[in-house]
This record gives sequence, C-alpha cells and structure tokens, in this order.
Amino acid sequence: MMGIYIFIFFAYLFGPLIIMSITAFNSAEFPSITPWECFSFRWFNEGKIAYDGQHLAGLLSDWRLHDGIISSLIIGAGVVTLSVPIGMAAAIVLTQVRSQLRDIYYSISIMPVLFPGVIIGISTVVLWDRIAGLGGEGFISDIGRNGIFLTILAQTCFISTYCFLIFVARLQRFDQTQEEAALDLGASQTQVFFKILVPYLSPAIASAAVIAFLFSFENYNTTVFSILSDQTLTTVIASKVRLGISPALSALALTIIALTIIAAVTYEVLRRRAEKRYAESQEKFVKEKAADNRINKKYKAGFKIPKGITAILLIVVFATYGATQIVKNDLYGQSCIDAADKEKKSKFLEQLQTLESNELTDEELSGGSLGGNQDYGDIFGDPSLFQDFGGFD
Amino acid sequence: MSADVELSDVSVTFGSFYAAKNVNVKVNGGEFFSFLGPSGCGKTTLLRAISGFQEPSEGKVLIDNKDMSGIGPNKRPTALIFQNLALFPLMSVSENIAFSLEVRGVSKEERKKRADELLELIALEGQGEKKVHQLSGGQKQRVAIARALAVEPKVLLLDEPLSALDLKLRQRMRTELREIQKRVNITFIYITHDQGEALTMSDRIAVMNEGELEQIGKCDEVYNNPLTPFVATFVGENNPLYGKVTGIEGDKAQIETADGQYLAMMNDSKKLNIGDESIAFVRPESLFIPRDGDSFDNKIDVNIESFEFEGNLKNFYARLQSGAKIKFSVPNAIDTSSISSGSSIALGFDSSKSVILPKASLAID
Ligand SMILES: Nc1ncnc2c1ncn2[C@@H]1O[C@H](COP(=O)(O)OP(=O)(O)OP(=O)(O)O)[C@@H](O)[C@H]1O
Ligand SMILES: [Mg+2]
Repeated sequence: MMGIYIFIFFAYLFGPLIIMSITAFNSAEFPSITPWECFSFRWFNEGKIAYDGQHLAGLLSDWRLHDGIISSLIIGAGVVTLSVPIGMAAAIVLTQVRSQLRDIYYSISIMPVLFPGVIIGISTVVLWDRIAGLGGEGFISDIGRNGIFLTILAQTCFISTYCFLIFVARLQRFDQTQEEAALDLGASQTQVFFKILVPYLSPAIASAAVIAFLFSFENYNTTVFSILSDQTLTTVIASKVRLGISPALSALALTIIALTIIAAVTYEVLRRRAEKRYAESQEKFVKEKAADNRINKKYKAGFKIPKGITAILLIVVFATYGATQIVKNDLYGQSCIDAADKEKKSKFLEQLQTLESNELTDEELSGGSLGGNQDYGDIFGDPSLFQDFGGFD
Repeated sequence: MSADVELSDVSVTFGSFYAAKNVNVKVNGGEFFSFLGPSGCGKTTLLRAISGFQEPSEGKVLIDNKDMSGIGPNKRPTALIFQNLALFPLMSVSENIAFSLEVRGVSKEERKKRADELLELIALEGQGEKKVHQLSGGQKQRVAIARALAVEPKVLLLDEPLSALDLKLRQRMRTELREIQKRVNITFIYITHDQGEALTMSDRIAVMNEGELEQIGKCDEVYNNPLTPFVATFVGENNPLYGKVTGIEGDKAQIETADGQYLAMMNDSKKLNIGDESIAFVRPESLFIPRDGDSFDNKIDVNIESFEFEGNLKNFYARLQSGAKIKFSVPNAIDTSSISSGSSIALGFDSSKSVILPKASLAID
C-alpha cells in the first residue's frame, strides 16, 4: 500500500520531467513522444532548418540562450558576492541585539522574502530610474539603467534574507565563549572574526552561496522587470515559450536536470568520503587508546540490496522497451531523419499546390462586396475621431 | 612573573540585581587563591570582572597596583580558563595552544617550539596533531591550561575547570593543577563550589554568598574558625545547636538550648552579649563517644536513628530530645558494635572545638 502511494507520488513529481526529457530526443519539431519520428540528438546540437526555411535552433546553436545563460551566471555571481556578506553581517548583528528589539529586528530582516518578487523588481527599477535621472549623463545614469546591475540589486534584496536565515541557524549553535576565549588570549576583534567566527561559519557560507546562486539562477518574477532590455536564461525561456515550445527547450531542461543530479551526486559522494575518513580517524584513535584488539576485529559488510531497487528496475525495463522499439522500427539515425523531412516537404508542397489551385479572386482579397479595408487599424488614422477628447497630457 | 590582584569595593549589578556587592580582597602574587561559594553566588561574575569581560558597576580592579578600568580582556595580563573550557574545535591541539602566539604574530617555528614545550608541561607530548574532540576530558582540561599559559599571563583565572570531570580524575587534576602552579609560579585565582577542592589546593580561600564575601582566610582558619553561620555550614559539615547566650567568660560563651547548656568558643570579631539569639556549631568529627578517662566540657544525649558506612568513616544520624537532628562520625577503626539504631547514648565534645556565632541563616536549610 505504502509502495503504491510512494510510486504515485513520485510519478506525480517526476513524471512530467521524464516525459519532457524523452521528447528532447525526438526529431519532430514539436515536443512529443507519440508520433515518434526519429531518435536524434539534433535538439542538443544544431537544431534544424525546417522545410519552410525557418531555422529552429538547437541548444548549441541558440545564441540568445547562450547570452541568457551568460547573463544569468554573471548575475548569480554578483548576487552571491553581495547576499552572502549581507546575510552574514545581518545574522551576526542579530546575536548582538538584546531583548525585545531582537524580535523586531528579526521580523524586519526576514520581511523581504514575504514581498512578492514582482514588487521588488518594479520598485528597484523605479528607484534607479530616478537615481539615473538625477545623475545626468555618466556612470550613475549608465548603471542605473543597466539591467544586469539592477537585477543583481533586486535579487539580492530577498536572496540575502535566505542567506541570513542560514547564518542565523548556524550561529544559534555557536558557543559565544569561544569568542571570549580568543579575546582573552589576546586576539583583536578582527582576528576573532577571521580566525574563530569565519571558520565556524564556513559550512554556512558554502551553503548560503549555493542557495543564493540557485535562487538567482532560477528567478523569474523579479528579474523579468529589473532586467530591462537584457535577457537572462529564465526570460529567454519564457519568451521562447510564448512563441511556441520547441524540443530544444526539452533538451535544455534535460541538461539542467542532468547537471543538477551530477552535482548532487558528486557532493554526496564527497561528503560520504569525508565522513568515512573522519570515522576512520576516530576509530584509529579509539583503537590506539584502547590498545586492545578486541575491537580490532574486521567487520565485513554483507551485500545489501539498495532500497530503490524497484524504481531502478522499472526505469531499466521501460528504457529497454523503448530502445528495442526504436531499433526494431529503424527510428534512429540520419537516414530516418532524412526520410521524415522528405515526407514532410512533399506534404508541404502538396498543400502549397492545393492553395495555388484555389486561387482567390481580387475581389475576395479586397474584402468582397463591402469593399475597403475591414480591419480597425485605420481607426487612429481618422483625424476627427478624437476631436472632442481633451488629449493626453 | 606573577602579579597581585586587588578588588576594591567591587560591585557588579544587572539591573537592580547585585551579582557582586562591595567585594574587597587582595590576592598576593604567586598565591593559589580560591573563591568558594554556592551556584549563582556571583563567582563567575567576579572572575569576569577581573579578566575584563565585565566592567564593575562600582569599585576598581587593580592588577599589580594598576587600575584596570577601560582595559579590555585582550590587553590584561590575565588568562581565563572557562567553565566549559571553550577550546577551539576546528583547530588541532597545538594550534589551540599556540593561538595566543599566532595572534601576536609569532613565527611558525617559534609557535611550534612553544607548543611542544607546553605539551610537555601538561604531559601530552606528541599529541599536538590531534583534534580537540579526540581528547579525553582530563586531557582537554590540560590543553585548556596550556593554552592559557602560552600567553605567559601574570594571573591565571580558573572557572570551575574540574566540575565536568569524574571524581577520580578530579582528584588527580587537583594535584596536577597545584603542581603546575608551583612550576610556573604565577597567581592562580580559582573558582569552585566544591569546598573539598578549595581546601586541598588553595593557600587562601574567600567564601562567597549572594554576591558578598563572608570570610577570607587560610583554609584551616576558615574551617576551624568560621565567622558566620553560612561559612560554618558551607565549608565542611556542622551541627547547629540553637539557643541563647547565658554567660560569657573570656573567649568562651555559654549557650542555653532546649536540650541543655554548652560551652563554645567565641569569635572576637563578632561580639556576643548575654541574651543574644545564637548558634553553637560542632562538627561531626568533633563529637566523641566518651571512653574511660576521656573528659569533655560538653555532654549531649542523643537517640541513634540510622547509620551509614562511608569507608574511612562511619556516620551516625541521631536526634536530640528536642527533636533536632545531629550527625557524628567515627573513624572506621573504632569499634561501634555496641551502638544500634534506637539506642540512647551520651556524646561529648570539647568547647575549643565548638564555635558560637550570632544567629543568621545557614548554607543548608
Ligand atoms: N548577563 C547577566 N545578566 C543578568 N544576570 C546575570 C548575568 N550574568 C549573571 N547573572 C546573575 O548573576 C548571578 C551570579 O551569576 P554567576 O554566573 O556569577 O554565578 P556563579 O557563582 O558563577 O554560579 P555557578 O557556580 O552556577 O557558575 C546569578 O544569579 C545570575 O543569574
Ligand atoms: Mg559560574
């Protein structure tokens, strides 16, 4: 029962991602699984020039996407360098504030996460537009209208709050007498900060940096306003989706998912290795101390079946099934793609021919018996229409 | 190098609460001096005032006759060993010990040399590379001492450093601390709520209660000649006998209690008058079961209630006729087979081993 529940939950969670990932390998112009055209990597590479001459960019050839990624990386780096120190400073201040003021300070500090991102984005633009206006021509006016700069500031507003929370959590477990001990041993306040506090906070600094970067990288609602005429990855994707989805986006999604999984797995492996090393050093120490070989016994771990075995089996079964189907029906490789394109092209030509054979008359094109231009575009061309209107101030 | 430490009229307040009140004491250079008092009496507060973490609300702290007000903890010639040790968990043992040198910009080789010297002093040679969490409780203790000594302080302040250790280790560390103090020959100011610890290690002790000093003196002086009922009952055990003064002759006074009259020594500092409410104190080990030829100037009839074997001592709990409880101890070597619970016996004690003091509250109620 429990198993079924978990399966449904995971299917709900990861189903769309898996489907989307599969569509990245279908050569069709629209992301789809079931008419399966051909298995191909084209959406990761060049994309295709469609039979009607339109270029459908693949992941590697899409310069707008590349520019967006670069901006996103720059913004992410900027946000990390600003948010982490700000969050850290704010959290350290919290440890120094006493009594009732503390609650007020805390509430104010976490408020930015409660604001809608849209508002943060817009207000940043409004403020800096004014500042840029004051500065006349020159540096101030340049950066005040620089989308990347504004986005860094706007995102930092609320991302530094997440960093703040991470540091607060770590500082809560900090033993303040360590600072006092360092002071007592002759350290200055600066030395206490760099030799005691920063080393203690370093895990929090790392996680705050990662979190800040991820939040920045995936942010849309603040960025879409503050980015002005520039583009980040998220705004590029959003604008692409507006024009219709392309399998290149599936390819991008899959790449991002893969990178995330690789990063997570690497992190986990490194962490376990460090943990193991720590455990070993501890064990060595205990043995040394005990000088007694009762605990020097070697334990041989038996092979254990991993818990996720059903899920893995399921994935393997489906993948094998899919792969055999593709191979059996010869749905892969350049020849398949060429054949599919040829078929589409001929269909297209057929349609063109039908269109040409049903040629419209001039009269039909000019609006029929009613005559004249029937659209309303002309309405603003009429000089008398707004005569009585006071006009725009 | 050691230094005198003088507290002159020091008070520390938190709001309207006095954590320390009008403390006057002079600790001599090279002395092992202890502040003894129950939990919450303001010992840590006093120590923080000496080390510079807490400015006194009133009064002055003088180290080597220099007024320390306005001088921060990192500028005072003191080193503090914290109640929880406060070793740096991310550093190795050597790094911990050499921290004070590092912040002073001492070169790496020099630091290593000094750390090795100190490791030898605390008998942890070759363990400098270990992390703090790999040390046992007693070893951590010694590392904390070495770290404090690395600054070459003139005064070492220790805040109940042994309280987290088990009994055996605590006893061993007492001797070690005392030895280290003799070797480095600096002033040790030691804080504890354990009177055994204070008595065995210190040259002099100061007994504190609710922020005030009750008595300062050599250990035996404080033990044998307490000045207040609090000191009498906090330092060692004491049986109180409540009554009124009925006669005074020389340095002795006669006290009339519900169970009879006793003679006890008077402390000249606190004069008693006839008719004053007072308490005579007699320690469990000063109450004797009279044998042939013994003569005591005080006799007391008790009814034995229970008995407890402590090893070197046998403790008897008894009641007087008035119902007051009394405890007496007999060395294990003495045969007490004739005494059983329920039996009534007469005990004797010498007036010179008993102290009479004006009535005031005790340490244990
Ligand atoms: N920062 C502070 N603010 C308010 N009150 C305090 C502060 N520090 C200490 N106190 C109070 O001062 C009194 C003395 O505290 P102190 O820490 O000196 O006790 P202590 O004698 O060291 O006790 P223990 O043996 O338990 O360590 C206590 O009643 C404590 O509540
Ligand atoms: Mg304390």
